[in-house]
Amino acid sequence: MQLRSILIFTTQKLLRLGLLLLAVAIFTFVLLSLSPIDPVQAYIGADMMQISPEQRQLIAERWGLDQPMLLRFGDWLGQLVQGNWGTSMVFNQPVGEVIASRFSVSVQMLAIAWLLSGLLGLGLGIVAGALAGTWIDRAIRLYAYTLASSPTFWVALLLLIVFSVSLKVTPICCAAPPGRLAADVTFWQHLHHLLLPALTLSIIRVASNTQRPRQKQIEELPSDYVRPAVHSFRGAVQSFTLSAPLTQALKRLSQQSEVTLFMTLLAVFKVLLYRYTGQSDILIGHPIANRNRPETEVLIGLFANTLILRTHLADTSTFAELLQQVRRSALGAYAHQDIPMEKLVEVLQPQRDLSHSPLFQVMFILENTPIKTLELPGLALTPLETPFTIA
Amino acid sequence: MKVSIGSLGVLLIGSLLVGCGSGSDSALESTPDSAPESAAAETSPQTGSAEQIVLAIGGESEEGYDPTLGWGRYGSPLFQSTLLRRDADLNIVNDLATDYTVSADGLIWTVTIRDDVVFADGEPLTAADVAYTFNQAAESGGLTDVTVLAEAIALDDTTVELRLEEPQSTFVNRLITLGIVPEHAHGPDYARNPVGSGPYRLVQWDEGQQLIVEANPNYYGAAPGIQQLVFLFVEEDAAFAAAKAGQAQVASIPQALAVQSIEGMTLYDVTSVDNRGLMFPYVPATGETTPNGDPIGNDVTADLAIRQAVNYAIDRQALVDGVLEGYGSVAYGPVSGLAWEAPGANIQDAQPEEAQALLAAGGWADSDDDGILEKDGVKAEFTILYPASDSTRQALALATAAMLEPIGIQANVEGKSWDEITPALHSNVVVFGWGSHDQTEMYNLYHSQAAQGDFYNAWYYANQAIDDTLDLAMGAPSEAEAIAFWQAAQWDGTTGFTTQGDAAWAWLVNLDHTYFVSDCLDIGQPQVEPHGHGWPITANIAEWAWTCS
Repeated sequence: MQLRSILIFTTQKLLRLGLLLLAVAIFTFVLLSLSPIDPVQAYIGADMMQISPEQRQLIAERWGLDQPMLLRFGDWLGQLVQGNWGTSMVFNQPVGEVIASRFSVSVQMLAIAWLLSGLLGLGLGIVAGALAGTWIDRAIRLYAYTLASSPTFWVALLLLIVFSVSLKVTPICCAAPPGRLAADVTFWQHLHHLLLPALTLSIIRVASNTQRPRQKQIEELPSDYVRPAVHSFRGAVQSFTLSAPLTQALKRLSQQSEVTLFMTLLAVFKVLLYRYTGQSDILIGHPIANRNRPETEVLIGLFANTLILRTHLADTSTFAELLQQVRRSALGAYAHQDIPMEKLVEVLQPQRDLSHSPLFQVMFILENTPIKTLELPGLALTPLETPFTIA
Repeated sequence: MKVSIGSLGVLLIGSLLVGCGSGSDSALESTPDSAPESAAAETSPQTGSAEQIVLAIGGESEEGYDPTLGWGRYGSPLFQSTLLRRDADLNIVNDLATDYTVSADGLIWTVTIRDDVVFADGEPLTAADVAYTFNQAAESGGLTDVTVLAEAIALDDTTVELRLEEPQSTFVNRLITLGIVPEHAHGPDYARNPVGSGPYRLVQWDEGQQLIVEANPNYYGAAPGIQQLVFLFVEEDAAFAAAKAGQAQVASIPQALAVQSIEGMTLYDVTSVDNRGLMFPYVPATGETTPNGDPIGNDVTADLAIRQAVNYAIDRQALVDGVLEGYGSVAYGPVSGLAWEAPGANIQDAQPEEAQALLAAGGWADSDDDGILEKDGVKAEFTILYPASDSTRQALALATAAMLEPIGIQANVEGKSWDEITPALHSNVVVFGWGSHDQTEMYNLYHSQAAQGDFYNAWYYANQAIDDTLDLAMGAPSEAEAIAFWQAAQWDGTTGFTTQGDAAWAWLVNLDHTYFVSDCLDIGQPQVEPHGHGWPITANIAEWAWTCS
């Protein structure tokens, strides 16, 4: 089942990528064809006084530039489908070979850059997250922000000036020492020449790689448990009873504050979650009957919807204020209770993850319908407590 | 700012070395000797030797090294050899050829070649290879133009007959520049695996980085003095840095850096025909347009007095000293400094009085006292366009405009991209640069039939007498005979396209090409170099020698 969904996902992505590439190809082709730059002239460049009109014609024929635009594009696309990427005008070599010859060096460099930036970014991120708020954290953040906002070529030039020209510890150019045959290049020389370019590439990446572990760590560190990567759905039930005077007091407080008992209890529960998680932005799900029209009140069927009640606890300094905030958000949510939550998720497109539900993780329900004991002739019925083990 | 980034970099390197060291212990143990040695070799400056020198002179041929596609079109293709070549004074001398004759009608060129030449792979080079090379080049859509060739036929092993469609004296330049390829080893892969009979053969080409070549043991000429050459493909600034670090023995550098000095190296200031000049639209603006619909003509520059006055008013030596820092020479025509320059065409410039007299005689006067001359209600005003990315041309344009102001000509200077300049080419003054050893360029610059709304004679210069002279030059059987006509087209005492005649252009300067060359390297006498591409300084590379022990 999972394999199938992965397959569908991959196919969809590949299809999208293909369409995107095709669109880019068409766009590039049309733009270049309509641009005032004459490709034959561009190819000839500074030799224009030595090239006769007859030779220009030969050049145009060699590259098929004497053909109409549509025909050229169709030709190119047809060849591409057959695996022929065409010949590079600049390198006079099949495009596939041009890419392949540069690919290996690029891959090596990227791999080293990824590795470096991964290790370095992760390390710095963990340090910054663990020491959040200290000067070390601030220094690491300053470093990350500065690099994230610097263009790569500029950083590269600075590093080149410092390490190659001034300090002379890294080479000025090339993937190997000048004049040395490929067979004679040692592993160390290879590494030495890869060092500065790979370092430059990784330095930029370090910035973003530092931020994420830092943020994650700050989120996770205050909690008692680590959230697993996939929902376990393990759960339990905790029952307790509120005393009658406390219940009365809660009802009184609700009346004085012009809120419902539900709102008061919800506010209390939010405070509890706030204290547990250390997060101030609390979102809680709440099921609602969604029968707010007389016509639907008597119908048989399921109209229930889930509302999301959001409160920013950082914005309130007293419980009374919080209560009013909960009231506002609840009334607001009631007013729009017929908007299905599925629709909301669809529109908001929150980042989906197997470890948690979208938008909220906790539901809050006040069951205030009086429980009537079912009476059947000849039978005595009592509710049976069943152990809940799922959540 | 720089310091803080640098120190962070040190921090990064520090952590990096720790990371590497722990992971690669085994590799280090297996090669205990080689690692420190190579590290030392790289940090200490490499000095050249008779074994190997490094040249940072740019000019990578990304297309590869196939002469039939244009490699070596400026001469000396390095891997291949040519039938003829030009010596240090640009005289034509034999290379592969032992002799050549041109038929009286100029249509049949018969070349006899040496019989002792073998390609680097050991196969003999015969007339069939020569014929193959020329036929191939004539058909291929590359950057060498051999379209005038009807066909090339090998008569025997050492004689080849080149049959032309029409007489063309400049065809000799194809004999000078077209490297001969082996028929048996020539194909689509040849450009990356060139086999030729030149002084050097390719060892390794790391595209975008370096080209390593070594002396060809089968070369028929004197064995090259340097065994291995490394061409480093870096930008000019990096070339300078490489030279300064002792890693390059020859470095081509921009003139702005020529004032610097490098220990153990000498600045070579090589004269070139890489010229710069002002191109004048020759005809009045009558509403006529090119086939592309671009306007032709300019009412001010169509006036001979204006064009001549500009030529006389400009102080060319001041441009050389001020703009080029002295690394250049004055130019009065498109071929200044070459053997086919007309000696009488030069004028005495920096003469504003002479210029003013010419303008007055031409009917130009400042009737409204605004400092700018008028004639028939037209102000002596034009725009000088230059490619905005070229600071040398910008400085030349600005300096020239300043020199024209005192004589009452208002020149407005504007930098634009080539895409913007191209449509404005035929109706504005433009700072252009040319320069070639091939006289075809002169023909295409000045022949009226060449003007087709493109870069050829973009200024619509037209003089029947000049056309006739240029045609005679082109139709002459040999360069020696053509030279008289090439010179006459410039100035023969009564007509010409230079200042005293039609003053079609105001040529300004020739740029010098500047190189730093190791004191231990003897590069002989460099040729006058063409407009900067390729490796002109390597024309005599087989004669280079390492003089230090």
